[in-house]
Amino acid sequence: MTTSTLLAVQLDTYLPVLLIFVMAAGFAVVNIVASHLIGPRKQAAVKGMPYESGMNPIEGARKRFNVRFYILAMTFLVFDVEIIFLYPWAVTFTQLGPRSPEGVLFLGRILFFIAMSVVAYVYAWKKGVFRWD
Amino acid sequence: MTLLALLLAPLAAAIAIAIAPPRLSAWIATAGSIAAAAIAVLAAVQFPSWTSEVFWPDEVGPAVFGGFGITLELGLDGVSMLMVLLTVVLTAISVIGSYTAIDHRHREYYAWFMVLESSMLLAFMARDAVVFYIGYEFTLVPMFFLISIWGGPDRRPAAIKFFIFTFLASVLMLAGIVYVASRRAEWLGEWSFRIPDLVSYASTQLTAGEQFWVFLALMAAFAVKTPFFPVHSWLPLAHDQAPTAGSVILAGTLLKLGTYGAFRIGLPMAPLGGAELCNFFAILAILGILAAAMICWVQTDVKKLVAYSSVSHMGMLMLGMFALNPIGLQGSVLYFVNHGLSTGAMFLLIGMVYERFHTKDMNQLGGLASTMPVWSCFMIFFTLSSVGLPGLNGFVGEVLCLWGCFTAEHDTMAGYPGLLGPWYAIIAIVGLILGAMYLLRMLGKMVWGEVRTPAGHDHEHGSLPQDLTAREIGILVPLAALCLFIGLYPRPILESIDPAVRSVLAGYPDAVLRVRDAELAEGRSAEDAPTLVLVEDSSR
Amino acid sequence: MMEMSERLVLLLPEIIMLAGAIVVSVLGLSRGSVLRGAVPLATMATLAAALIATVLVHDPERAAAAGLPLPMLGLYGRALVASIGLLLVAVTIGSVDRRLEEAFAKGLAPFDPIRVLGGEFHAFLLFSLAGAMLVTVASDLIWLFLAIELSSLPTYIMVATSRGSRRAQEAAVKYFFLGAMSTAIMLYGFAMLYGAAGSLELLQIQAAFLGGAGETPIAVLGVLMVVIGLCFKITAVPMHFYAPDVYEGASVPVTAFLSFVPKATGMFVLMSILAAVGWSADLDSPSLPPNIEAVLWMIAALTMTLGNLGALLQRSVKRMMAYSSIAHSGYMLVGIVAGPAFGGYDAVLLYLLVYGVTNVAVFGAIASIERRGQEIDSFDDLAGLRIRHPWAAAMLALGAGSLIGMPPLLGFWGKLDLFVAGLGAGQTELVVLMAVNSAVSAWYYLRLAGPPTIAPAGPQADSIERVPSRWPLVTAVAAGFGLFLLPLVLDPISKAASVAGPPPIAAAEEAASTSAPIDPAG
Repeated sequence: MTTSTLLAVQLDTYLPVLLIFVMAAGFAVVNIVASHLIGPRKQAAVKGMPYESGMNPIEGARKRFNVRFYILAMTFLVFDVEIIFLYPWAVTFTQLGPRSPEGVLFLGRILFFIAMSVVAYVYAWKKGVFRWD
Repeated sequence: MTLLALLLAPLAAAIAIAIAPPRLSAWIATAGSIAAAAIAVLAAVQFPSWTSEVFWPDEVGPAVFGGFGITLELGLDGVSMLMVLLTVVLTAISVIGSYTAIDHRHREYYAWFMVLESSMLLAFMARDAVVFYIGYEFTLVPMFFLISIWGGPDRRPAAIKFFIFTFLASVLMLAGIVYVASRRAEWLGEWSFRIPDLVSYASTQLTAGEQFWVFLALMAAFAVKTPFFPVHSWLPLAHDQAPTAGSVILAGTLLKLGTYGAFRIGLPMAPLGGAELCNFFAILAILGILAAAMICWVQTDVKKLVAYSSVSHMGMLMLGMFALNPIGLQGSVLYFVNHGLSTGAMFLLIGMVYERFHTKDMNQLGGLASTMPVWSCFMIFFTLSSVGLPGLNGFVGEVLCLWGCFTAEHDTMAGYPGLLGPWYAIIAIVGLILGAMYLLRMLGKMVWGEVRTPAGHDHEHGSLPQDLTAREIGILVPLAALCLFIGLYPRPILESIDPAVRSVLAGYPDAVLRVRDAELAEGRSAEDAPTLVLVEDSSR
Repeated sequence: MMEMSERLVLLLPEIIMLAGAIVVSVLGLSRGSVLRGAVPLATMATLAAALIATVLVHDPERAAAAGLPLPMLGLYGRALVASIGLLLVAVTIGSVDRRLEEAFAKGLAPFDPIRVLGGEFHAFLLFSLAGAMLVTVASDLIWLFLAIELSSLPTYIMVATSRGSRRAQEAAVKYFFLGAMSTAIMLYGFAMLYGAAGSLELLQIQAAFLGGAGETPIAVLGVLMVVIGLCFKITAVPMHFYAPDVYEGASVPVTAFLSFVPKATGMFVLMSILAAVGWSADLDSPSLPPNIEAVLWMIAALTMTLGNLGALLQRSVKRMMAYSSIAHSGYMLVGIVAGPAFGGYDAVLLYLLVYGVTNVAVFGAIASIERRGQEIDSFDDLAGLRIRHPWAAAMLALGAGSLIGMPPLLGFWGKLDLFVAGLGAGQTELVVLMAVNSAVSAWYYLRLAGPPTIAPAGPQADSIERVPSRWPLVTAVAAGFGLFLLPLVLDPISKAASVAGPPPIAAAEEAASTSAPIDPAG
């Protein structure tokens, strides 16, 4: 097989692919342009305020927080999300029969999962995430 | 075993030099190179087949890369035996000749020199194309360091140019070799990189087009190494900048790797390609002879002059080779040895003058016949050998090369008509005459005339006496004796070359006839178109 | 499908690596400096255990049952990654957290777990290597993608944390964004492959492509996008341009890591995917979808040429090595273009070993020296290196020789293998291009070999210091010895590397028995 024969492409077979690209780009462009054109525009003082969960903003937005807040928040989020995985597991576990052969494996999996979380917890602890001095 | 010992002796010396204190380096190198020479002589004594086309010892070595059938197979025939002897002699002489010339980094210098010897011997003894390539290519490394550490003021660019030129070309040779081997593996179902296997496959099974390209790829490497005219420009620079011993080895044996490769691999592997391209390369060779001779006319630097004369001589050598008949090829192989002896000796002599006067400019030197009579004798002797004085070695080689070229067209001895003709030889003779003139002009300026020494030079020669020392005479005498021997009685050497030459040319009668037929057909087609078809048919 | 337990046994090396990563990350936070100092050793022990596990658990039947397009890749590929990984870890010893540890030791600063990074660094290193190992045993596109990401994501962080300088940060950001883009392209390609073949399993994709699914535009485009996406990993044109900046920004040990691990990962994936879409030695007539071979051909040609041209212009050693890495990817792509039927894949696998060992020799030597606490980066700075650091200079010269392809060093045999594969597959033009390119490369590799070994003594040479840790140099010397000792055992190595297809002889015999003898008169 030589290069030149391979290069001879029948471009028209790629038309559907091109169409997908065109449609994707078109969708994005149309949406942005349309909302600009037909969206109502009314300015008000309250509307121009930054959104802070309904609170009135105080001080400037560029105030610095201690980086520990972020680390703690992230650690919290990670463990919070991991707990969510426990719910579906608990629900399914009760549906297994009393002496189901899969029982041990089923328990083992979640124990492994929890062990991994514990390791992460130990790591975070040793890293000093929970220290505030 | 002898050959393996020959290969390992310099390597062992190199390792010993690396370990021992620097003040012993020169002695270990001398011992190593003399040991190698002794082993080579022993091999020559054991060598059973001076007059028959048999490789000795004919045994398969240990596998290097078994999947591809690469083996460390060493073997010698008449030609490679000669090359091995030339290598060990010149290396020993160069090592002894560097005692006073090398004043720093002794340990590295002598270690690299030993590695260089081993690498050259590997290339000359290899029966496997990849092993040949390894030896051929690895010579670049020690030579690169020899030039770039102990060379003249412009050594860096010279070393890099030398390395890049030869490396670029020899990678193409590797591609050519691998191409033949892979086609062979496809055909036979087993891998082998043995030179005889590749030759017997490629010369009979590859198409004319394939042989053309394979020959071109192989000759690309050999032409740069030899060097041929348009790609010669690395050589004068490298010679000029290299330390004396480096120049001796470069001219004496490294260039011969190129011609030996063309002889051992290039010509026999692709006879159709060789015959097709023979005129092209012959013309390049002649251009080289003439161009280098003319450049020599304007050189005042003696070392550069000898370097360019080397290009010119290599052109003569290749012209003999591309006569593609036994006489020319014999002359060409004999020229391998001759050129190594006489040019090597001339570089040694120039190095000796340089050590004393620190100049290579012939306008600053003169009348050395009165101040350095012994040196002058040797200089005259080797210059005459280089010019081709009857009775000395250069004459025999040159005459055979030219004879091969003259008689190529109507050769009765070879049994088939060649592709070159008398005109090639006639133009080459013009080059020879030019060569004689510039070499003699150099002699006239340096040896005779009024006594001149470089300005500011107050006859202080350091530790060296004004004329040659016993050590210096001692290394020149063997070279002179060999030159005289070959000049007076070349028969044993020619006889030992002959079988190899015939086997190299085995594929050529057919190939040359085919190319001639094709040329004739082309010529005839102008007058009579239908004949073309007939001739083409009959040639297949 | 495999049993869960079987699958776990197959993945034992990766499991060891991940467990080791956890241990290492916690160990790195210990208060005692001895325990922290043991982190690299624990990393190496993990790698050694993974290497042993790879060899011990290897079972051809299990591998064959795992649904892999290249069932035998797992053994050689994982062993390769683990052994080169061992060397790469040894090069890093003493460079991570160096200033911090010195400050702790002198009592200038109290121990602060937030600021030490050694544990994390080595854990990420293990994660990345585990990802590289995992791609060799991934049987479907999801696995493959996860493994690739496991191998890539840690490298972004390794670049960022390797040096405290802004250049490292910049390099990491560049690397991350371009990496994310290439991953997106590759993932889009995976999606199209799925669309074309109707399955995520590589073997099913192979069956579908044999059944004609490979001719559809969506399939061709899918393969093309996967190839382009992988070009980022292997630093091939058109996704090569990040390499010089990133290599320059990262610290030397990380640069060494980047020049091998992502490339090996990318090559493994490329081989697996191309084997799945038709470039497989198991098939009677391996064939890629139309145009893909031509695209690969052009990528190979452009990659080696642009890499070499770029390298010619550099003054910085690391930038030169980045371009050289691009060029070597181009050489390896010659093996990919040649295909498994002619030993192309085997040659690539051998070349990865060659390249890995050579790179350790070069980067180890550079990592072992410094000037006033700064890495040495330009060629001029290396002049006269041999006077005070003869071993480092020798290793640079040896490494450069191997990269040039100077016989009898390891690099020569790698190139020879690629030559053989390329010529066997009839890619003569590509091989000639590769030959010319590797000759041109001698020009800039000589600058790596020349000044350190040739230049005379001078103040420049005297101010070069040795780094406190001996390990980089020891590793470089070990690799340097490998450069001329490994060719002695080339036979078993190349047999181990011929996992991707039948040995060249068998293919040749087949070809010889089917094709008629060539007419010499032609």
